[in-house]
Amino acid sequence: MIDKTTMPREMTFRVRRFDPDTDSAPHWNEYRLDVHDGMTVLEALHQLKAQQEPTLSWRSSCRMGVCGSCGMFINDLPMLACQTQVLHLGTDVVTIAPLPNYDNVKDLVPDLAPLIEKHAAVKPYIIYLDQIEIDEPSGEFLQTPDEREAFSQFTHCIKCGLCLAACPTVATDPLFLGPQALAQAYRYTADNRDWGMKERIEAIDIFHGPYQCHLAGACSQACPKGVDPAFGIQLLKRALVLDSIGFEKKKSSVAKVMPLADVVKAIEEFAPPPRTVGK
Amino acid sequence: MRETRLWSLHLLVIPIIAVLLGAHFAVMHYAPVFYGVSVEEARNFETMIERGKSVAQLVLYILLLAAALYHGLYGLRGIIRELPMTPALGKFVDTSIILLGLFIFVFGAYVTWWTFSFKIGG
Repeated sequence: MIDKTTMPREMTFRVRRFDPDTDSAPHWNEYRLDVHDGMTVLEALHQLKAQQEPTLSWRSSCRMGVCGSCGMFINDLPMLACQTQVLHLGTDVVTIAPLPNYDNVKDLVPDLAPLIEKHAAVKPYIIYLDQIEIDEPSGEFLQTPDEREAFSQFTHCIKCGLCLAACPTVATDPLFLGPQALAQAYRYTADNRDWGMKERIEAIDIFHGPYQCHLAGACSQACPKGVDPAFGIQLLKRALVLDSIGFEKKKSSVAKVMPLADVVKAIEEFAPPPRTVGK
Repeated sequence: MRETRLWSLHLLVIPIIAVLLGAHFAVMHYAPVFYGVSVEEARNFETMIERGKSVAQLVLYILLLAAALYHGLYGLRGIIRELPMTPALGKFVDTSIILLGLFIFVFGAYVTWWTFSFKIGG
């Protein structure tokens, strides 16, 4: 039996256009395009630009769901255009708009400045308070697989901004730090090498911080990398409450540095396993 | 003050409200079930004044007042502050809600104290 959803056919694309130099408000344009099995929305846009609408603008780069540049509002859901196959959408008309909850720069290009600013505000890097150790490291910080697992999924964030576009709280409260920044705040707070909770509190323990989350879970559904930022926000709440009553998690293994001399010795002693093929 | 402490407190008062509001309902609305008297009798002036002379009632009602006010006004603040506003307006909202809460608390505590200290017939 032939799967009609994957058969080549002509489809309609409704694309929201906006040029700040000539338009006072966004408008919709419709285009017809032959689509085939496996064609992504990003490929469709490239074909539209090449064949019908050379002025159409969007942002994209890697074409494989790694860079996070091509976030768009496709059929009223935030998705990566490079990961979304046109025929899998299951509709005859595909609507494509810029991500909501961001200002619109041009056509399908959102202004991601709020995403970056909120991300930077939570100090998304490991903060270690021993300045001597920072200036003259005596060795490597060790981390067990279990310690890594505590925050592992949150390291997969590619900063595409889909979660902020999906978040109903960001829609009404633009100052809300949002799922991306809060999940990253948890990612570093949960890292056993990090001692930055006290430094981050000023940025995250505010009205527009984790307690504004309405638990809609839209961010977790939207994330193209399978991260669960809504869960991260709940974990951050727990960490903040424990910290506020003096029960912050002990960072025990951060002190277990491997002396650099041992590292050098280990490298010198390293021998690759014997070859089993191509002898 | 750290938002975590404000948020934690608004959760911590929930069991206080549940217990004390339950007691209030038992006394005022389910008197026939718990005390074998009619609702009208439980609510008439003399009975209320008589009940109000209990130190336990004085303390528990003021505690209920404080807990319910904090919980309710924290929620109200959350709804209002979610609207787009400048930080200055946000501070104004916070201050206004604190003042409103203090006013209602003082008024409610005064009424409870008035009942506690009321002398029938003089």
